[in-house]
Amino acid sequence: MDFAISSILFYVFAAMALICACSVIFASNPVTSAMSMALCFAATAAILFGMGAQFLGIVQIIVYAGAILVLFLFVVMMLDIKTEEEDNDFGVVRNLVRMTPGVLVAGVLGAMICIAALKLPGARDWNNPLCTAWNARSELCIGKQQSTVTVTDNKDFGGALPALNPVAATNDTKASSIPDVKLLGKRLFTQYNIEFVILSFALLAGTVGAVALSRKIHKD
Amino acid sequence: MDIPLAHYLILSGLLFSIGLAGVLIRRNIIVVFMCLEMMLSAANISLVAFSRANGVNGVPVYDAQILALFVVAIAAAEVAIGLALIVAMFRARRSVSSAALTTLKED
Repeated sequence: MDFAISSILFYVFAAMALICACSVIFASNPVTSAMSMALCFAATAAILFGMGAQFLGIVQIIVYAGAILVLFLFVVMMLDIKTEEEDNDFGVVRNLVRMTPGVLVAGVLGAMICIAALKLPGARDWNNPLCTAWNARSELCIGKQQSTVTVTDNKDFGGALPALNPVAATNDTKASSIPDVKLLGKRLFTQYNIEFVILSFALLAGTVGAVALSRKIHKD
Repeated sequence: MDIPLAHYLILSGLLFSIGLAGVLIRRNIIVVFMCLEMMLSAANISLVAFSRANGVNGVPVYDAQILALFVVAIAAAEVAIGLALIVAMFRARRSVSSAALTTLKED
């Protein structure tokens, strides 16, 4: 019954991300949506930190919660959106009918992903008390089919993530943490150099496109 | 006690489907766009989780993290273009509701 603080934090931040994501959808004011989106990205960044991907967590905060959020807020501020939500008063029943197909499609997709994730080998061998109790209960079920399939690959892929090992990454026996940025940068600038250059062209095309789209068109 | 990979994948799938629900439900194009961004960042979580799970000798697979980095960069470019399109649409239609885009509708 030893809960590590990091695993409790994972569930806290996961719940925060899900709640903020729901609040992005259901907020009627776009500014509220944008702020909830920032909180959702912050929680996502915290989860990335917890997985040991410090660089990606920092990038998530800087790019998503910094740059993208500011762009969204600028656009919401420039366009007077408040008046646009007014024409949405069709009545509760009609709104519910309008929402049903979307919720249905997304719910089916989410349920499919959850079931597929739980079917991974080792996904349920989770040594916390609640899960052990659940496994014991399902073993006691009457008429339970004995599973005849034995998993030959005993790597529990869906189980607990393997622990990070800084010594293997650095060949330094005194290393205490993985040099995340160094390893990522080495890979990025050697093996993925061409892709990196192509990516910078994509960003350039994005800049040119944004300027071209927001320019006033003069017809002569 | 560690968190299994399945829980990261479930979180990522749930965030993705909430984003998809937002794209399908909302009429306001700006909120639809925010939901698209949430879907991209949800995919990043599962990429990083798989990079940890497939790691050799306790070193994560950095190819997946580089793919996640590329996703972030493309998302930034996409936001620049998309918000320019939204501003252009607002200029033309005086509205950001997707119900205003009916030019191609047969009537």
